[in-house]
Amino acid sequence: MGTTVRFFVCLAFLLISFSIPSVIGEADAASDSIASGSAFLVTETEAHELIRLAYSEFQEAQASPLGDDSRTASSKKEDPQEDAVDADPWEDEAEAIDSVPDPLEPMNRAFFVFNDKMYFWVLKPVGTGYSMVVPEFGRVCIRNFFTNLIMPIRAISCLLQGKFEGFGIELVRCVVNTTAGFLGFQDVARQGLGFEIQDEDLGQAFAFYGIGPGFYLNLPFLGPSTLRDTAGWVGELYLNPLDYMVDDFWPNVGFRTFDILNKTSLRIGEYEALKKAALDPYVAMRDAYHQYRLNQIEK
Amino acid sequence: MLCKRLIMVLFSLFMLVAAESVSVAGEPTEHVRKTTDRIIAIVMDPGLKEADKAREKSRQIRSVVDERFDWEEMSKRTLARYWKDRTENEKEEFIDLFGRLLERTYLDKVEGYSGEKVLYVDEKVEGKYAIVSVRIVTRQETEIQVDYRLQNKKNEWLVYDISIEGVSLVNNYRKQFSSIMTRSSYKDLIEKLRSKVEGEN
Repeated sequence: MGTTVRFFVCLAFLLISFSIPSVIGEADAASDSIASGSAFLVTETEAHELIRLAYSEFQEAQASPLGDDSRTASSKKEDPQEDAVDADPWEDEAEAIDSVPDPLEPMNRAFFVFNDKMYFWVLKPVGTGYSMVVPEFGRVCIRNFFTNLIMPIRAISCLLQGKFEGFGIELVRCVVNTTAGFLGFQDVARQGLGFEIQDEDLGQAFAFYGIGPGFYLNLPFLGPSTLRDTAGWVGELYLNPLDYMVDDFWPNVGFRTFDILNKTSLRIGEYEALKKAALDPYVAMRDAYHQYRLNQIEK
Repeated sequence: MLCKRLIMVLFSLFMLVAAESVSVAGEPTEHVRKTTDRIIAIVMDPGLKEADKAREKSRQIRSVVDERFDWEEMSKRTLARYWKDRTENEKEEFIDLFGRLLERTYLDKVEGYSGEKVLYVDEKVEGKYAIVSVRIVTRQETEIQVDYRLQNKKNEWLVYDISIEGVSLVNNYRKQFSSIMTRSSYKDLIEKLRSKVEGEN
């Protein structure tokens, strides 16, 4: 993968993400949130509260012009008596940010079917065979190795959000796990020192600066994402040591595929459970991704 | 003098700690804990381990779950604005079908239980609503964040929503149902629900 190509793809995505609020004509919401993004100097928690508020405002402003679901919802919501239930005191936390716009739904649904087939025809059988050869302990070690390897992604994402403690924890974790944990195969930093992994990525860091999800994307091979999170994924190609260590395209893809296969082998059954419980698996997945990301961003 | 002050400080610190541990184990938490413990006891019961006892086992779990879960409230919240347009019969039918779907989903999850630890980390009560926060620690030592939302009805705390890693069950089904309702009809929704519940049992 050429470094220049990567740079321009990343830049393009960022530009698109930034330009969305102005396209819709909600520029002030975006500038508000960027202003509160500079609240670095305030305490961490305050900055987070600010950004969470700004983010939800931004989302609300953004959701209505694009999402077809939410358009009908907002027109109905004018009459509060319409809803059969009374709101619980936490209603505004989760439900205010209702759903992510999905203007490319036909394309996304097509890729959803593609990924579904990929899972059942390729990933699951290969993953099941692989898990018969490699015991669970070994697979957890391999997962730990890849997790340790991408420490820069988490550390930089912490730093970008002003989470200095998280940044420090990630650095210590990496030093301890790479040495005492045998190149990261063992997570001794957590077991021994109680240093938990910091669940941060560039998509969350972008959200911290008030960038909304844009719209929903279901990408072939990569699965559910949004415009913002895809931009984050592209940016992470720069922060992933794997891309510097293995610069040739096919070996790089090989390592990534192995990582995905290994992770999948530890999670066989989860996707099946989602599908079994859902009336519309595509909508279930889209909403689950949306809620899951909001939860991650809030933390 | 100094010693006395030190004792005072220590004492008040102790009181704070004590107060905190009391607030974590409030009434809603106790109810969730009791239900969870009973379910774990059934799942781990060696007398129900054999394959031919599967039906009996799920019947027992079902009866424990039924006591704590408010299927009607869940149905109301998932159908949301479409709820009030339903006739009494339709409501009953919906509660029955949706309850069975949720029960089955929940049973599938519970039956995979293999000694995971359940930690009760937080509880928030506001009027007749409560959130009980739980962490499930898996064998691979990953923590799963689970929040039970409860509502007090006639002095009984009943669960009306569960969210796993921030993904609320009720919200997720509400999105699916409203998507189906805007595209087609309630009749279609019920048919889909029925074939889900009856088809794959």
